[in-house]
Formats: sequence, C-alpha cells, structure tokens
Amino acid sequence: MTSQTAPPANLRLIGGEMVVWTDEPPTEPQAAYGSAAVATLVARAVPAGARVLLAGGGHPRRVLDVLAARAGRVTCLIRGYPDASALAKAYADEPTIDVLAGSLSRLPEAERFDAVVALAGLDRVASAEIDELDWAHTLDRLLAVLRPSGTLLLALDNPMGLHRLVALDPRDTGRDDGAWTVPGGPDPSCATGLGALRERLATAGVGVDACYAAYPTLERSGVLVDAVALDAAGSPDGLLDATLATAYADAASPGVQLRDPRPLARAARRAGLAASLAPAWMVVARRTDEARSGQGLPALLCDDTSAGPRWRTLIEATSGTDGWVRRGTVVASEPAGRAGHAGAVRRDPGRLSGAVPTGDLLSGLLLDAGLRRDRATLRRLLSGYAGWLSSVASADERLPGVCAFATPANVVVDGGRFAVLDPSWQLTEPLPVDVAVARGLRQHAVTVVTSSYAHPWSSTLDVDGLTVVLAGLAGNPVERNVIAAAVDAEASIVAALDGLTDAQRVALAERLARISVIDPPPGLASYDQLREAWQRQREEVVRLADRLAWSEKILDSRERALKKAQLTIALLSGSLSFRLGRLLITPARLGKRWYRRTRGRIRRLRRALSREG
Amino acid sequence: MHHANHFYGHAHVLARYCGLDELNPPRINGYVQHGWNIGDGLAPCTPYAERSPSYLWSEQTRRRAWAMGRRNTVVVGAPWVYLLAMEPSDAAVEAAREGTIWYPFHGWEQQQVEGDHRRLIDEIRATEPGPVTVCLYWQEYRTGHIRRVYERAGFRIVCHGYRGHWWQNTDERFLYNQLAALRRHRRVASNRVSSALLYGILAGCEPAVYGDPMVLSGEDLTFGGVARIRRQWPELHGARVDRETAAEITRAELGVGYRWGPGELREIFGWHAAAYRYEEAQL
Repeated sequence: MTSQTAPPANLRLIGGEMVVWTDEPPTEPQAAYGSAAVATLVARAVPAGARVLLAGGGHPRRVLDVLAARAGRVTCLIRGYPDASALAKAYADEPTIDVLAGSLSRLPEAERFDAVVALAGLDRVASAEIDELDWAHTLDRLLAVLRPSGTLLLALDNPMGLHRLVALDPRDTGRDDGAWTVPGGPDPSCATGLGALRERLATAGVGVDACYAAYPTLERSGVLVDAVALDAAGSPDGLLDATLATAYADAASPGVQLRDPRPLARAARRAGLAASLAPAWMVVARRTDEARSGQGLPALLCDDTSAGPRWRTLIEATSGTDGWVRRGTVVASEPAGRAGHAGAVRRDPGRLSGAVPTGDLLSGLLLDAGLRRDRATLRRLLSGYAGWLSSVASADERLPGVCAFATPANVVVDGGRFAVLDPSWQLTEPLPVDVAVARGLRQHAVTVVTSSYAHPWSSTLDVDGLTVVLAGLAGNPVERNVIAAAVDAEASIVAALDGLTDAQRVALAERLARISVIDPPPGLASYDQLREAWQRQREEVVRLADRLAWSEKILDSRERALKKAQLTIALLSGSLSFRLGRLLITPARLGKRWYRRTRGRIRRLRRALSREG
Repeated sequence: MHHANHFYGHAHVLARYCGLDELNPPRINGYVQHGWNIGDGLAPCTPYAERSPSYLWSEQTRRRAWAMGRRNTVVVGAPWVYLLAMEPSDAAVEAAREGTIWYPFHGWEQQQVEGDHRRLIDEIRATEPGPVTVCLYWQEYRTGHIRRVYERAGFRIVCHGYRGHWWQNTDERFLYNQLAALRRHRRVASNRVSSALLYGILAGCEPAVYGDPMVLSGEDLTFGGVARIRRQWPELHGARVDRETAAEITRAELGVGYRWGPGELREIFGWHAAAYRYEEAQL
C-alpha cells in the first residue's frame, strides 16, 4: 500500500487496515521471533488439523511456525498493513496460511474456526480505523466465529499486575503510538481481574481448561505458570521463585523501574496473591458444557533466556500426584544459533529431565534470616551449604562440574537436604571447593549489599568483608585471596557465557571486584536502588562527618595537652636546678658517645688486620 | 495563524460561532483540519510545528493520527458542523429541493485530473433522474475546455469560490455558498467520497458515489488511495445508497457529536484574550 505494487497473493484486504502501523516490537530479531513458552502452549492446546484464526498483530513468529506445522488451515487477522504484508510474504509458500489485513468487524461472518488464538491481547485486534470495538464486543465477535467445542486461547493484561506496580511511568499517561486508547482500565467492558475474566467467559458458555500467569509482560511472556499451581501450598517453591526471577533476569528488561519486581513476586506467592498480581493471564478455554480439566497441559513453561540467546532452553514442568516432573529442551534462536558449550561452560537441557527437587531457594531463606537478624538459622543454613558442597568434593577438595553452579540462587533446601535446582549447567574443569563456596557466598553478599537488605552486621562491611563473615558462619573461613579467585572464576564463567574476549574478561573481573552499593552490578536498574544508594551515601557522609567532628575534638584536646606539656618543659628548662643538672650530665653523655665511637673503630681495625694476616 | 486555517473561510465561520469578528478571525493556536482525509487529518507535505495542537474532525482521525505519532490531537468536529448549527434550514427550503449537485473529483492547483470527463457525463445522465448541477473546483471552472464539456452536456455549472492561499483572496463565503447550493438539491453525488459529499449528506441530500474516480497524476498512495476508501466505506458507494447508514457515517466523519460550545471553543483555540479585546472594542 505504501507503494503501488500489488499485495501478495495470500493477503486479502478486508477493510479497516492501518496502512502505516506495525505491532512488531522494535527489538533484535531473536526477541521478535518470540517466546518459546507461548509457542509451546499453542502447540499443546490447539488440536492437530484444526482450522485456526490467529487474531491480532504482535504474535511471535514462532507461534505461526507452530500453527503452520500443526493446524489444518490458519487465517491471520492483522490490523497493520506492513505486518500483514510481511507475514504474507514470509508464508507465501505455505498454502495453509492466509493473511487478512483489516478490522475484526470486517471478518466475513460466515467464517467458523476450530480454534481462535488471541494471545497478543484483544487490544491488538482493534484497529484505529472504522468503529473501534470495545473489549467485550471484540471477545463476542471472536466467540461468534468459534465452533462449538472450539478452543479459545486468550490473553489479558492485568491493570494491577506486577509490571504496573514497578513501572516508573504511570500507565495512564499513554505516550506510545499504540495508546490512542489506553488498554485496560478505561474500557468498562474489559475484565479487570482473573475472576472477572472467568465469569465473563462462563457467561458466554466458555469453560476455562487452564489459566496461566504470564511474566514479565504480556508482550514478552517468557514464563507461563498455571495460576492455581502458582499459589498452591504443595507447589515446589524453589522452582517457582527461581522461574519468576528468570522472567525478570532478561537483559532486555525495560529501563529503570520503581523497584526490583523479583522480591515482590516472591512475596506475592507467599501471600497467595501471585496469580492475582501476575502481569498478564493466558487462558485456554473451550466452548463446551462438558466437564473439563487442564490435564495434558503443562503446569509451567519457561523460555529461559537469562544467560543470553546462545544458551536458550525451554523448561516444561507438569504436576502429578507424585510431585512435579520437568524436562528441558533446546530452543533454537534465530539468527544467533545456540552454543550449548563455550569455554569451560556447558549446558545440557537433558539433565533437567526428572522430578523437580522440592524445597525453598537457599538465597531466599538466607535473605529472610538476615532480615530477621536470625543468626542461628543463618549459621545452620550456611554451614549446611558449605558442608554439603564439601561432602560432594573429591579427595583433592575439588567440586564436580555441576556443583560449580550450586550458588544460593540455584540451590534448594528441603529440611536439611540440599540440591541443585537447575543441573543443566556445568563446568568442564573442577573448581576448588573453597573457591566455589566463596563464589556462592559472594553472590549472596552482592545481593544483600546492592539491594540494601537488612542484615545483622555493620554497614561498614563491603561485599568482600561480608563474604568473609558469611564464610566464617559457614564454618569455612576464607581469606581475601580466595575471594579474589572466586571473582576470577565468576568472570571466567560470565565471559564464556557471553563470548567475551580475554581483555573483556579482565575488565569484567575488575568491575565485579568493585561492586558496592553505589556501584551495583549491571542488570535491573530501579528507582529504589537509586534512592537506597543515595540514602546509604547520606548515612555514610553523616558517619564520616561525625567521625571527623569527633577526631577534631580529640585533636583539640591532644593539642591542648601538648601545649600544656610544652609549657611545662619550657618552664622547667629555664630553672636553676635544670641548668645545674644539665651541667653535670652533659660531660658524661659526651664521654659515653666518644667511648662508643672509639670502640667501633678498634673493632673494624682488628677485623681488617685478621683478614690480611 | 497557519494559512490553512483560513481555507474555505473556516476560521471565519468558527470566529462567528465564538461571537468574534468573522471578517478578521483571531489567530488559532494550532491547525484545524481543512478537509476530509484518510491520513492524520493534516495536509501531507505541509510544514507544521511539531506538537502544536491538531484540531481534527472525528474520533477515528484522532486515533489514526495518534497511531501515526501525532500528539496534542483534539476532536472539535468540522467547521461545516458549526456552520449548520448557525444556519438552520427551514421547511420552505426543504420543499424546494430539486435535482442533483454533482462534484467531479478534483485535485488542487498543482495537480491535474486524468480521466475521461465525457464518459463520466454519460454515466451521470444515465443515473440522475432530475436536473444536474455540476460544481467545479475554481481551477476547472476557469479552465474553458473542461467547463465547456459539462456545459455542452446541458448541466448547470457552478463554483463555490476560491478557498484562498496564504491568506490571499480567501472567499469567506465559500461554505455559505456551498450550503446554499446543497440545500437547493435533492441529491449530492461524486466519483469519490470527499468533504463535499459528506457536507451534502449532512445538509440533507441523498448521496451517491459512482463513476471513474479519476486518479490524480502523481497522487500520493501512502494512505491507500481510492481502493482503501472503497474498502473502508463501501456503504457510501453506489448510485443508490442507504440514507440512514450514510447519515450515520457522516455524523461520525464530520464529528457532529464533538461540536463544542462557543465558550469552550474560544478556550481550546486560545481565543480568550482576543475575545476580551473584541468585547472591549464593541463596548
């Protein structure tokens, strides 16, 4: 349309298309290619051979690939002409995929589908052209084209989601080009909570098979967790906490936020509110009155991109009567490809297969105990951790490769039992146990110091100082040179993960060694971190000013004492008795000095004579 | 004031509506959309100061403009809506309506219409039941050969005036002339959906869109051109069009529901100080 060339043959313009609009994210290609978690959900939920309507722009290309391979026929309804045209060209050789450019209200009414996929949110279906349908009417229109027993995959942004709670920009400012109406709140027809969504679907005769909490945002749903399992008491806390943290670990996280969402996510889980506060929900529903359950659908899908695209792994977990079972698969990232190993680091997703270890994350338990100033628990956890690592070390006190990654954020504790949560990572070279312990403890110390968690020790402890204290509590005392070795090991691992050069690795090691509350590690930047850095600097300035004042005061008093002593000396040196005493002592002192000098000369002379003789 | 605000005497109509000097309208603090279009409401390739307010006709144009990166967009409705509010019709005028006023699609000064005017004339004759008045744009009105083609066909030829350029020769009565002409006719027709067609529908004419849409030489197809208009507003196309549907679309496109009161409009346009001075002068 922007040129006079004819549109591709598999593209039909149905009216209401936005001629210069795009829903594609302006990011790097592998991100645009999309979440493997969402694609896997689609693969599990959409029946094979189905006639599918993919409603709305902004769906990951990966979802299209899944549908092209699985569905009988796919109709993509895209509002932005450039997106529709690009899609039609990309799937020009795929006879099962048709692209319609335009508004949902112009979708031919006779069309019926076995599945409707609207996982980019209903506001991505709405065109700015023609009369914009509100949320409820958009849903009604989609349900109208769904066959009886058809499957609906629907996503809804949560106006009270974690992403909103930590966003620096208030959402109602709506500055983006897409905010011609602000999605969510102002549309009174839109379901604003999970309960309201379920009710709305039930009213329309649609039953929910499964509902997933999506993190970190609807657009970048890398992590999907079954909403019921997320808050259930019997779920594996360690796995869920670590998975939610993974969702926020991606380097592509949006700029500065009000605060780190990870502790909030963990607190929400403890309060049974995680599903209600999830950034978005994805629902698998069916238009049927039959009894239904989410059996066959995964309980957790995590597209783990936290270490970068080259190590990308999909973790899929299911819950059963015997606990949770998971498996890991390699995610092909285009165009980066996947490394699987680099330097001394390897990642083998096959090692994830099997039962999920139960228990809480060691890092969380340590933070909690620190906040409570509970030294006994800290000592028990730390000594248990160090003891467990020592117990698996070889005779020469070296750890097997998989345990090199047994840091507090990747270790779960169940009672007194410790286990590595994600065993897919390993080092090909064994690591000395004291270096491994120091590395783990220093990582924890970095979190405590740079996130300004309360702890039972003084504020003057820097990261390395706190590491020494923690190691002492663990019954595994370390010197600062071992900590330096741990920093080097950390830098080597990160360098292998990120493909850094030697010079970059050295620079990274220096950077890691410098970490302090005012110089935090790169990653999430939050307003509360900035505020805390300012607060800590203010406290430090107050401490230094007080100390300076105190030193001045001491100096004043010492100067006064010195002055007094000098006065006394001056007074005494002018008296008659002092002069008489000096008259007597001076000849004796001079005589002593002469005697010593002469004795030295005689000795040197004797030694010279004996050498010549 | 941007010179486009004076086109067709828009600023003059709005100043009168606000109770100000309609011959010397005060400066508007932004840009008033001066014609129906399928882009962001502003004329393409015309310089505008970034983030100055755009006063748009319809909510749909506001959404589209926002999606295209425009900000400070306010829906005020078309000046035509304000004119109709000030110039109500009466029963005698309505009873005297007759024939069709036909607007052949035109470009502006620097564009030339291609296409076969004669074929269009045959189609008009075959379609229109009563007498036909052809309204030509001032450029075509002054171009003898085009004008003669329509005259020889037996059509009455009119021109509403010159829209003006850089504040020069603006016919402030342009819209008044157009309203009077439309109210004399029972039908309004064109070969494209245009401002004139929508004005006619709002002025009570029965609409029709048919005939060669006459593509402009070098016409900018960035926003999809005629094909997109046909896709998006198919209900307005044809020799016979459902009047109620057409009226509903027109009310949305001209922003009938968005007409502000004179006091609010003075504030929106930044006319409060000018209004104070004008009232002082009147005293």
